[in-house]
Amino acid sequence: MPTVMTHMVAWYPDRDRSLEAAAALAAGGASYLEIQFPFSDPMADGPVIQAACTKALEAGFTLSGGFDLIRQITSMVDIPVYIMSYASPAVSMGVERFVTSARQAGASGCIIPDLPVGCDEGFFAYSKSIGMDAVPVIAPNVTHKRLEEILSVSPRYVYTALRAGITGTQTVLDQPLIDFLSVLSAQKVKVLGGFGISSSEQIRALSPYVHAVVVGSHLVRAITEAVSHGRSVSESIRSAMKQWEQ
Amino acid sequence: MKHSDNGFFGTFGGKYVAEVLRAPLDELEQAFSEAMADEEFLHRIEDEAKTYTGRPTPLLHARRASEQLGGAQIYIKLEGLANTGAHKINNALGQGLLAQRMGKKRIIAETGAGQHGVATAAVCARLGLECVIYMGEVDMNRQYPNVFWMRQYGAQVIPVTSGSSTLKDAVNEALRDWASSYGDTHYLLGSALGPAPYPDMVREFQSVIGNEVKRQSEGLQVEAMIACVGGGSNAIGFFSPFIEAVEPALYGAEAGGRGDAPGDHAVRMNGQGSIGVVQGYKSRFLLDLDGQVQTTHSVSAGLDYPGIGPQLAHLGEQGRIQFCSIRDEEAIEAVKFFARNEGLCFALESAHAGALAMKLAPDIPPDRAIIVNMSGRGDKDIFITARAIDEQQWTEFLHKEVQR
Ligand SMILES: Cc1ncc(COP(=O)(O)O)c(C=O)c1O
Repeated sequence: MPTVMTHMVAWYPDRDRSLEAAAALAAGGASYLEIQFPFSDPMADGPVIQAACTKALEAGFTLSGGFDLIRQITSMVDIPVYIMSYASPAVSMGVERFVTSARQAGASGCIIPDLPVGCDEGFFAYSKSIGMDAVPVIAPNVTHKRLEEILSVSPRYVYTALRAGITGTQTVLDQPLIDFLSVLSAQKVKVLGGFGISSSEQIRALSPYVHAVVVGSHLVRAITEAVSHGRSVSESIRSAMKQWEQ
Repeated sequence: MKHSDNGFFGTFGGKYVAEVLRAPLDELEQAFSEAMADEEFLHRIEDEAKTYTGRPTPLLHARRASEQLGGAQIYIKLEGLANTGAHKINNALGQGLLAQRMGKKRIIAETGAGQHGVATAAVCARLGLECVIYMGEVDMNRQYPNVFWMRQYGAQVIPVTSGSSTLKDAVNEALRDWASSYGDTHYLLGSALGPAPYPDMVREFQSVIGNEVKRQSEGLQVEAMIACVGGGSNAIGFFSPFIEAVEPALYGAEAGGRGDAPGDHAVRMNGQGSIGVVQGYKSRFLLDLDGQVQTTHSVSAGLDYPGIGPQLAHLGEQGRIQFCSIRDEEAIEAVKFFARNEGLCFALESAHAGALAMKLAPDIPPDRAIIVNMSGRGDKDIFITARAIDEQQWTEFLHKEVQR
């Protein structure tokens, strides 16, 4: 099994089944769990995760309920759990309180794409001070100068969106992307790479260039399909992940 | 503070965006500052403003309205006379020319009332640029005349059905488009909000309103200036040359909607909004306790938005701008009042400023002036105002029209 960080949305499709999803992802061989707190305006997400966020909010997600769910998940699985959130919920609560609550719930760190280094309301400095990972999100269009700025906060991990070159099953990682990943890997930082990963071919092709492959919408879609066909969420996740092993 | 300090107005503003948007925003910031130092570019804007937009727009002494209210002399800046019917054209033209200078081929924009969409589509038609407009489905239904004209100008209008299907959702959709299209595409944001450099850039392109008013009001004893505030582009452009002075008093009219309950209005200032980070900038927003964005309501689609531009939020906090809220029915009354007494057709957005002027004028002596920015004209609102003012005749007319 390649090293995979799986992504899911807390409270999607409801609290109990999101707990079930987390257990299934860990049992299926995930090395990290990334659990997204749903937000009303998920600007950086496509239609699948947007719809999941809307459903999760309708199902009654709250921040205190979210941290409670994380506590239950971290006591149940033995892999690191990361909370992904947009800035608004974290800033409303207070970034320090948010990170502290994440830590108390047993999470290893937080990923907040719209709190980039420099416009981060103390997210990076505070996380570091209490031993939590603040994981910056970058993209292949990042300039050299900007990358240096980001790496100057010495993150243990960076999360990178891979926008070009890996679509379809005939996966060809194009040269600019490989160069970009090689530059990153040469730094003292572990690279989590994802966005648009849906097949075992893609996971295998990408694996040599990153620390872990992030699989997001693909698994959220598996949950959506399970729900619409009245099937079990854990069963659907199990069969989606089974395909990665071959 | 007139300009941002590296994107910030006090603690508001900033560039709170996912990293993928950082490079295009930096590119835009650079291109904007180069263009503003280029005489030829500035002349081009001036020339288009004169021949295409129809600037300068008049400053009208509303004598009968002033007499009726029995107080200050009311002057009205007729931005509604600008081509395409609102102030939005000033910004659309500036950014359109900038995009062309940057070599972009495609323009995307969000729109609420549709005035920004219409202005953008018109500018794209004139400059020969491809144009895609994102518009919430709710707004498309209530501002259909503008949808029709955007299409005539050659724009593709894409309905947005996520979230509340209004302006904020259209902004989200445009940002998503831009995250993968910035290579050949410019995002022509329509108000003085969003990540830096938009708040500075939109203010600069709208400051033509205030600069004209400054000249046109020479010799008047101006007590107050009043603008409606959605995202804040007409207000900040109108106020721009007066921000650093202590006079005149500056008033922003927000949408009080149909009541004080969450979801019934769009009042972000005066303690209703909370400090947050949404859509790339830090400002005051209507949020619930968990930071989820609340739904808003206003009879005017252009004010129906949960955030306010960062510079206005800062100037409000500093006390330079006072904010008041105006209810839906007060705005409708203002439309009727200025139509009857001055032969002016206010846009519902602008009518919020008109309504506030009606409240303030009686307490100010007649030798003083107040200036209202009529940011747009109200032809686009006929489906809303006609129903609100004379529902029976209007529905009868619609029935007849359908049967014809
Ligand atoms: C006529 C008119 N006035 C005001 C507004 C509100 O925008 P802003 O606050 O950016 O001026 C709009 C927005 O659509 C508008 O069409």
